[in-house]
Amino acid sequence: METRKVSDGRQAAEGVSPAEGGREEIVRHGISAAPGIVIGPAFVMRPEIFSVPNTTVPPAEREKQIASFKHALAETRKELIQIQADMSERLGEDHARIFEAHLLILDDVMVVGDTEALIRSENRNAAWAFQKVISNILSGFEDIEDEYLRDRFTDILDVKKRVIGKLLGKQKRKLIDPSEPSVVFARDLSPSETAQFDRKKVLGYATDRGGRTSHTAILARSQGVAAVVGLEDLSARVRSGDPVVLDGNAGTVVIHPSHSTLDNYHREIKQYKKLEKELLKLTGYPAETLDNRNIQLKANIDLPDEIESAVAYGAQGVGLFRTEYFFIAQDKLPSEEEQYQIYRSVLEHMGDNPVTIRVLDIGGDKIADYLHSSPELNPFMGWRGIRFLLTRKDIFKTQLRAIYRASAHGSVKILLPLIVEVDEVKKAKQICAEVREQLRSNRFRIDDNVEIGIMVETPSAVLLADALAKEVDFFSIGTNDLIQYTMAVDRGNSKISHLYQHLHPSIIRFLKMTVDAARKHKIPVSICGEMAVDPMSTVVLIGLQLDEFSCSPNMMPEVKKIIRSVTYDECKMLVKRILKYVTTEQIERDVTRLLRERCPDLAMFHE
Amino acid sequence: MVEFDSLVNNKIGMHLRAAGEFVKLANKFSSEITVIKNGKKANGKSILGLASLAVGAGATITIRIEGTDELAAKEALKELIDQNFYEE
Repeated sequence: METRKVSDGRQAAEGVSPAEGGREEIVRHGISAAPGIVIGPAFVMRPEIFSVPNTTVPPAEREKQIASFKHALAETRKELIQIQADMSERLGEDHARIFEAHLLILDDVMVVGDTEALIRSENRNAAWAFQKVISNILSGFEDIEDEYLRDRFTDILDVKKRVIGKLLGKQKRKLIDPSEPSVVFARDLSPSETAQFDRKKVLGYATDRGGRTSHTAILARSQGVAAVVGLEDLSARVRSGDPVVLDGNAGTVVIHPSHSTLDNYHREIKQYKKLEKELLKLTGYPAETLDNRNIQLKANIDLPDEIESAVAYGAQGVGLFRTEYFFIAQDKLPSEEEQYQIYRSVLEHMGDNPVTIRVLDIGGDKIADYLHSSPELNPFMGWRGIRFLLTRKDIFKTQLRAIYRASAHGSVKILLPLIVEVDEVKKAKQICAEVREQLRSNRFRIDDNVEIGIMVETPSAVLLADALAKEVDFFSIGTNDLIQYTMAVDRGNSKISHLYQHLHPSIIRFLKMTVDAARKHKIPVSICGEMAVDPMSTVVLIGLQLDEFSCSPNMMPEVKKIIRSVTYDECKMLVKRILKYVTTEQIERDVTRLLRERCPDLAMFHE
Repeated sequence: MVEFDSLVNNKIGMHLRAAGEFVKLANKFSSEITVIKNGKKANGKSILGLASLAVGAGATITIRIEGTDELAAKEALKELIDQNFYEE
């Protein structure tokens, strides 16, 4: 079972001596992305992890090595010119000019001449010789004091990476797991990279980029791993093996913590564990308000093995099974059979409790290289969700076949992502019907009553909720995207992520409209975005009369604690009041007042 | 052989972009071009060589040119530095 990760600091901290060698403590505040406090060594992911073989080549091969070196330079040149042209179009010529220096490096008499000379004199392969020449040049840069010039290291390293990449054949950034449980530092982690880590080796994630609802954050929460994002340039200031503290509750990372800092954190970890223990006691109790309004509390999962922690935390089903990760984590499409086995095992594990499978929501920041040939300028408004599936019907049908086949082994619902119009729903339902028909004629046993619902995550879906409700069996509100599209804010951009507010009046109104439409047509509404686990939002969502909350398994006890501390009536009254407000401050003031009264320990903990 | 001193007076010194302009121009001449700063020499046709001299803003460099077109090269390079590498 996965517990909310509260360091186990002591074990992990062994061999980490604080402030060793008098290294100065660095404290950096970022954005709290997933709770938990961990202490351990850093594991820094550098963008280029090429291993260049040090092989000798017979003299007869030398000219071939030089030719392939020249070819790699030419290929890199082509690539850079292409990037430069794209960039000039998008950002203006001035930005693109930075690549002129890159191009000159490719032509540099030292680079080209010395590498050729080295291949000849040392009989080594081209990649090794080139790397050696570049390191020599860079070592000449080492004692440069001018900060701007030192930063140009990156340009040279970028060129080096590209050329060596060409010489060694296209290699993807390959992940190497840390050898011991570590805090992973990176500039940024793509969902596929986060998904590929061996979770036993990851104490926490610390990234330079990202906001509270970037995918690193969401995945970290669903894995129960502490995370802090938006740390600016911290990954460049830490080295693998440095002792670090990552406080996902406060959003703080400390490198080379002093003795007194470590003492404080050990104390805090103890308190945190105590609170967690109290929360875990609630597992066996229903998610019910003081006046007996029962709310379904379900789990969001990304990976099949999270089902165990979902069950352990008392989930009444899976409210959102995202299926992107096993499409992204490998280099090819998962087959019908592979998918069937995964869905079936999750369904069997949940027994009578329903599992809502969201069909592939690829696109946005969830990209599989083998499916997207060219990058989009504006991926969040691009070819994603249902749009992707309705063009790639082959992929859609394969997934549906796997889901329907699995339907014989439990209770399953199908959830369609990124709906903006009624027609999309009709087309998708038509395809579902075709797949069912086909399976029946092939004599597969399937459940005839698999419900089909939609994600309400675009302003368009909210405005059309009344019409959409007639077409489907349930609504699931995806607050992450809904807020992003409504507020026009990129959730991964730390400069503007303050605009990303759960309790913004426009969001509250949109939620109300969605629930009203669902009520009118008597279909249930669930909420599966990160808003469900924001304590301030929980009371509002109860008052908005949501039927079901779905969240990361490890967050469920806390949500339940809030549900069990308030009455349905007072939450409804609260919503009635805040619907009149026009600023987030007004809304938060009322919500805080109620929360402070009803769950003082939690409210204090989160402020 | 000609040799002259020049004051690098642009905003951030001879960073890669400025060095790039220098190298581009230097490569138009057949003469050998050497740039010297505080006794450290670099090939004036190598952008990385130049960059490794770390010529900051306000530094003085010596340029030594040897070859058939050395005078023309001197004129052109002097002009480039005096015009702050055509930035802005």
